[in-house]
Amino acid sequence: MKHARILATALAVGLAPIAAKAQSMSPMRGEVNSFTDVFAVRVFPANPYDRKIRVEIHVYDQDFQPVDARISPNVFQLASQASRPVLVVVPFGGAAERKVRICTESIPFPNQQTQIRAQICGKFFGRRKS
Amino acid sequence: MTLFRAAFGAVLLVASIDQTALATTQNVIFNGTIAPTCTLVVATNGTMTVSPDLQSLSSHNSGGSAGTVTLTTTGGVSLSVDPVTTTTVPSADSTSTTWTPTYSAAGAHSIVETGSATSISTPGADLVSVHLAGTKGGSNRFANGNYQATVTLRCE
Repeated sequence: MKHARILATALAVGLAPIAAKAQSMSPMRGEVNSFTDVFAVRVFPANPYDRKIRVEIHVYDQDFQPVDARISPNVFQLASQASRPVLVVVPFGGAAERKVRICTESIPFPNQQTQIRAQICGKFFGRRKS
Repeated sequence: MTLFRAAFGAVLLVASIDQTALATTQNVIFNGTIAPTCTLVVATNGTMTVSPDLQSLSSHNSGGSAGTVTLTTTGGVSLSVDPVTTTTVPSADSTSTTWTPTYSAAGAHSIVETGSATSISTPGADLVSVHLAGTKGGSNRFANGNYQATVTLRCE
């Protein structure tokens, strides 16, 4: 039942991003109204490189502290020029509204002296309706 | 009677030729909304070299090089680097190091080297150079061995 509610929320929010190639993540902004104690966002990380990369999805609050959100999937391999949907379910934690950052992170060239982690963060605002 | 019918037909024909077709136009409206987007493509990682006094391990030092990242954005985003938290140092190095990541950008936007967040309001593409400097104070020195650090470049 709980899963059904969450799924219904995810469908109801109506965030219908247009996945596009050569973007690291879309959308990067969003407002969600929810009638349950969670709100859901679907994001589309994309791999602009010409080879497979490992992608991690993380959720942070406004102070960049980790948020206990459910991310499906949170770590995955993404083929070159590919994009895939990721469902993020964020609890309100008793609040009436919540702002979170959903970040796509990857280190495309690991195991080198100075590595660069590219992080694309979208800002999302969830509002609980009674 | 025949003459009358021919004349009537001719008048009717002339009257119908004189009628012009009524042309109408209708506008078709297209709308499009682009939300802020950002693409970061890491081109190269950086290289740090040690200074002659062994108190600086930096991409600014001679022989060092910045990491490079291609940024493409619609604008309406912010670019920043995180404090360095992930490092690997050789076992011989037991003293603390202060790591300072910075970045600069050239292209559609010109960003002077900074460690602070920069708002980008206009669209365009840039080449972002990412630098990292590690410093030791007092009598501490960098040791022989492999150092590795990860700089997080964020676009949000």
